[in-house]
Amino acid sequence: MEDYVGMAKMNRPSSAIAGGIAGTAILSLLMILLEVQTRSQVHIFDAIARFVGLPNNILIGFVLFVAAGVFAWPLLFIALEPYIPRGPDPAARGIVFAFVLWLAFVIAGRGSIGWPLIIVYAGLTLLAHLAYGFTLGAVYASLREENVADTA
Amino acid sequence: MRNGWPPTLAVPDGGYLLGGETETENEKPSGLFRWVTSVDHKDIGIMYIVFATATALWGGTDAMMIRTELLTPGAGPWDPVTYNALFTTHGLTMLLFFVTPAFTGIGNYFLPLLLGADDMAYPRINAIAFWILPPAYLLVRAGLITEIIAKALAVIGFSITSLFALQPPGTGWTMYTPLTTQMVNPQIDLMLLGLHLSGIATLLAAINFIVTIFTERSDDVSWSTLDIFSWTMLTTSGLILFAFPLLGSALIMLLLDRNFGTTFFTVDGGGPLLWQHLFWFFGHPEVYILVLPAFGLVSLILPKFSGRKLFGFKFIVYSTLAIGVLSFGVWAHHMFTTGIDPRIRASFMAVSVAIAIPSAVKTFNWMTTMWEGHIRLTAPMLFCIGGIGTFIIGGVTGVFLAAIPIDLLYHDTYYVVGHFHFIVVGIITFAAFAASYYWYPLLTGRMYDQLLAKVHAWLSIVGTVIAFGLMLINGALGLPRRYATYPEQFASLQQMMTIGAFLIFAGVIIWLYNMIQSYRIGPVVMDADVWNLKSIDQFTREWQWFEERLEERRRKIRGE
Ligand code: HEM
Ligand SMILES: [Cu+2]
Repeated sequence: MEDYVGMAKMNRPSSAIAGGIAGTAILSLLMILLEVQTRSQVHIFDAIARFVGLPNNILIGFVLFVAAGVFAWPLLFIALEPYIPRGPDPAARGIVFAFVLWLAFVIAGRGSIGWPLIIVYAGLTLLAHLAYGFTLGAVYASLREENVADTA
Repeated sequence: MRNGWPPTLAVPDGGYLLGGETETENEKPSGLFRWVTSVDHKDIGIMYIVFATATALWGGTDAMMIRTELLTPGAGPWDPVTYNALFTTHGLTMLLFFVTPAFTGIGNYFLPLLLGADDMAYPRINAIAFWILPPAYLLVRAGLITEIIAKALAVIGFSITSLFALQPPGTGWTMYTPLTTQMVNPQIDLMLLGLHLSGIATLLAAINFIVTIFTERSDDVSWSTLDIFSWTMLTTSGLILFAFPLLGSALIMLLLDRNFGTTFFTVDGGGPLLWQHLFWFFGHPEVYILVLPAFGLVSLILPKFSGRKLFGFKFIVYSTLAIGVLSFGVWAHHMFTTGIDPRIRASFMAVSVAIAIPSAVKTFNWMTTMWEGHIRLTAPMLFCIGGIGTFIIGGVTGVFLAAIPIDLLYHDTYYVVGHFHFIVVGIITFAAFAASYYWYPLLTGRMYDQLLAKVHAWLSIVGTVIAFGLMLINGALGLPRRYATYPEQFASLQQMMTIGAFLIFAGVIIWLYNMIQSYRIGPVVMDADVWNLKSIDQFTREWQWFEERLEERRRKIRGE
């Protein structure tokens, strides 16, 4: 891919944040789809608010959620990157990373969701998180500086 | 460099144009603009496939929600209204927006290669036909889209109640009247318009296939050397040509009944049975429109991994044509319970049973192809063999349903749902997966993860037998379909069915991951003969084309 090598390269934190933006966009989209598709049974926005520790404030909860998805998790991700299994591909590592995030999310955000809805809640939020991690890693991998040296 | 990642040769092969390769287009813009403006059959084929994947995931989510609802005998987690919407959108999505576009996409990409044509006969119409589909699908699903907007606004503190007016349609994919005429939900009108639009798209694509096969073949491809997949796409397109205009007209009549007081389907007008006749005169050929390309793919791929030529090629072609003709003569087997004249019923039963013969010809030819062959159990082959097995179950249960006395018992029970899923999942979806693996190297220039692919194949086969096999049993025990609630004694069977469905879904996620991840970092294909087809003399046209492309690319890299 000619433009692959020529693409503008960024330093590691900014490429991680770019990955975070892409990942959070996909995650939010999937969460909204989940909320609508399940006809509001899951109350995903409440789950998000519970996850960030503000059970009664959906708007601020959502803002915090986006901030974490764009800045906090991506920076944590590159700090931990060498220690995450399934490398060296950052996208595969991103999946492992996001799985851990999902564990926290599904426990903290569960609220009063009961059987059998919990299956849908757990399954679909899992997929949404894995998509987040994969996108984060993939975008990060294609933007960060080392690639210039790797592919040229 | 880290462990060979990313791969040194990050050059996608085969699937993409470098410009100046077709007569219709000389220069290609890059980026998003390229896709929006492209009239190249390969680009359009890819877009169809991507669209079909997205809709299949959406319709699959519907299916998983149906199965979640049925985990418990009572209503919940969703109410029965939502349940009705779920099986409606599931059915419509899967039939008209997943399978049809998926095969149109595969046909778009590969028919010109198999025919030795430069492109489809009408490249621009081809592009238009594709671009009609996304808006058509959005119309069918419009209620959810407006709800998303409403929800997003609500989070920021605005609430616009009118955005909630469109409720997902709960008509069933058959849209039977008088129910569909009487439901007030305005979303149903949008759905009818969307379906009409999608019919236009399908029709345009079919005309393009027919003209392409008739007029664009290269000199050395005659009718006698036409490959099996092109034969089935030709027959399918012929069926579309006769079936879809009928659906279009019926939809318009329904729309008029709903909005302008016409009486096509009212009790004192044409009557609700008129709808059923019109719908099924389209609807039954439609199921063969879906299954014939799948048959074609199995007939094409199976010999490659059996080390033998397709047994009885001519008979497979004849049976395809026979199915095509007969499929228009059986529609009333969906109406045995409506009280139509027993003599008419009997004749429909006879034709329906007769259609089993050409189908059986195919299965026997497939088995004979494998007989004493050198079988290689790759993922595409696993899907073909699994597909033949599940198709036999689906076909035999279909013969039972074609028998009037049995249909009177099983009509509108889970037996029917089990029967047709052994076909729509068991061979149609399986064949699409087989093709996705078989041609993956050609489409992307990279190889997929073979272990994951086999896991996917086995999950699908086992999941299908569990989920839909148990539906047959549930139906035989008398459980009616299309109810959100059911008697307590069916609970454990229902839960096992759901486990089967989740297995299938897990396989799909593995497939999706494999497709995306291998596209990024799968091993680059160096030798076009990925499947060792040269040794069995089956290195067919599309692979020869691929070999030339790889060679061309190498010359470019070497700077020649
Ligand atoms: C894992 C995959 C699938 C599962 C678990 C599943 C499950 C179901 C169930 C339980 C129903 C019956 C709903 C009811 O009558 O209450 C149904 C209906 C239906 N399904 Fe599927 N399905 C799957 C895939 C597919 C595919 C791939 C297709 C088509 C290509 C398809 C086409 C249909 C159609 C046409 C109906 C009839 C809708 C109606 O009753 O109006 N399904 N499905
Ligand atoms: Cu039929």
